[in-house]
Amino acid sequence: MTYLFQILNGVGLGMLYFLLAVGLSIIFGLLQFVNFAHGAFYLLGAYLAYEMVERGASFWAALPLAALAVGLLAGLTEAVLLRRIYKQPHTFHILVTVGLALVVQEFVIIVWGPIGGNLPAPEALSGVVILGDFVYPEYRLFVIVFTAALAAALWWLLESTRLGAIVRAGSESPENMALLGYDTLRINTAVFALGAGLAGLAGALAAPIRGVEPFMGVEALSIAFVVVVIGGMGSYAGALAAGLVVGIAQSLMATLWPEGARLVIYLGMAGIIVAMPRGLFGRA
Amino acid sequence: MLHRRAFLTTTSLAAASLAAPGLLRGARAAETALVVGVPLPISGAFAANGKFAAMGAALAAEEAGAALGRKVVTRDIDTEGKPAPAARKVQEAMGEGTRLFAGGILSSEALVMGKEVAKGGGVFFTTAGADEITGQECNRGTFRWSVPTYGAIAQTVRPLIEQMPQAKRWYTITPQYVFGEGLLTAAKAVFQEKGIEHVGNSYHSLAEKEFSGYLTNAIAAKPDVLLILNFGSQSSDTLRQAVSFGLKKRMTIVLAWASGLEQFEALGPDLCEGVYFGAQYWHGVDAPLNKALVAKLRETRKMSPNYSFAASYLLTKLLIDAATKAGTTEGPAMIKALEGLTYAGLTGEEEIRAADHQVIKNYYLLKGKAKSAMADKDDFVDIVGSGKSFLTPEAAGCKMT
Repeated sequence: MTYLFQILNGVGLGMLYFLLAVGLSIIFGLLQFVNFAHGAFYLLGAYLAYEMVERGASFWAALPLAALAVGLLAGLTEAVLLRRIYKQPHTFHILVTVGLALVVQEFVIIVWGPIGGNLPAPEALSGVVILGDFVYPEYRLFVIVFTAALAAALWWLLESTRLGAIVRAGSESPENMALLGYDTLRINTAVFALGAGLAGLAGALAAPIRGVEPFMGVEALSIAFVVVVIGGMGSYAGALAAGLVVGIAQSLMATLWPEGARLVIYLGMAGIIVAMPRGLFGRA
Repeated sequence: MLHRRAFLTTTSLAAASLAAPGLLRGARAAETALVVGVPLPISGAFAANGKFAAMGAALAAEEAGAALGRKVVTRDIDTEGKPAPAARKVQEAMGEGTRLFAGGILSSEALVMGKEVAKGGGVFFTTAGADEITGQECNRGTFRWSVPTYGAIAQTVRPLIEQMPQAKRWYTITPQYVFGEGLLTAAKAVFQEKGIEHVGNSYHSLAEKEFSGYLTNAIAAKPDVLLILNFGSQSSDTLRQAVSFGLKKRMTIVLAWASGLEQFEALGPDLCEGVYFGAQYWHGVDAPLNKALVAKLRETRKMSPNYSFAASYLLTKLLIDAATKAGTTEGPAMIKALEGLTYAGLTGEEEIRAADHQVIKNYYLLKGKAKSAMADKDDFVDIVGSGKSFLTPEAAGCKMT
């Protein structure tokens, strides 16, 4: 019975990891751009939601607004700064985005202080579901359902709409898209904003579970990279599968071998690199 | 196309620099000034503690400078919360003439820094918790203000067992490193002595942020009390997630080693209400030096001192006072000035035990109060108990070198 609950808990964790990683995966897959500021966008999303709720806004309003604000800010950053370095070697991408992440982190410390804060779950979801001897927070159940619905919507957007087709074609052959009259610069900006906005959404969603603190972005970034590497860089389905695998493995290990619960994430990544060098769903 | 190997190499390098930006701030001292090195985690997961501690040390230096009419400065050293950079940077500071050090929040960094400073003929005063610091690994150059794990458990678990005789089943969550092991060993000894059933323990790594799996284990064991033995943001995460799992209604929650005000501010009163916390320091303690510090800080900075701030303030003050008394910052004279010293401290009368350099001071058992019962924004808890519990230097295993 304990294992069953660890799996349920792992699904909840995994959906959160998916949401964290999917934005990174989209940006990498479509722009071939390694974004180390992804954790910083997660951090900003969490703090913006926290600030809005502290100022009296409803969590339900703060959630989309935080994601939207982060997306807009990321779009602006892409248009002003990041698009200038796309053609540079990847070390430039890392240098600039790590720098950006540090700037955001210090900004958060200056504005909100080095001590974190607590963002309570919305009143309607502050209880627990009791199943026999076990309990599970209602808010975590909501995160599972919400993220699953979001995953389906994203899938539909990227795979079944004209917009999705343009975006995918833009990643395969930007020159041809430009020749066809599409503004690839705008597509890039939109994709970057979408990916970062999803990180912001993940931050706002995670805040009632994890609280907010200025260094939360670093941890989020490391998990996001593990999920992207296991799932396959740029793969949407890979991010979902890997998020769930990592979440369930981590949760099950808490019962089987608690000391290794965190280690197993990185061992799993190493194992996947050896056995399946392109990840679970990576493209050739 | 970015290749996987290049991706992993470059990303791991970048991750390292993100996690440890190595910010080095603080004053570079002039030759003639009295300098106190303040080695603290100013970046990384424990940076919040480090930043307040740096402020506390700076205040002590500022006050001493004004009182003594000479330049007294602190030199902030970012340990990044890791033993290797901590040891290296302390060596560098000693190479530049610094002999006095007040800092070290994590046990692992404090242990290595204590050894380095002692070897170089200096004095290191710390707040880190592992028993070894004034136990098996004690040395002549290292002093420790905070109550080690034995006393923390004795002043939290022991009185709560007496207060709640019906609570026979306890579950523990423990970080797997020297500090956590120390708390767990001490707790198990009390459980055995008092006939308490230890229904389970979950170990976790020092990097863990997600505790829901361990909490599920705890729920399965059906304890009466959940004893949280980790520290800093990890204990906040554990408590936050425990409350979200409804554990506050099912069992008593005890956090044996809380950081006090800074942690309560981050958690907020709703999470703290009804939870028991063990603490080294609380700004509501009735002691003259503490009252003076609280009054000064509230007037000048509109804040109450938290543990990191207050402890660092006191350590720095003790070092400056001793250096003034000794007329030098060199180790032997400093050690002589500090050993056996009894003084009016932040927790009342405190004494530096000569045999192992452990400060004998109170540890506090606090209980979170309801938001409606708070007298001001910092009034998160009531003090429900306090006392001094220490192993003898022999029992702690200290053979002074």
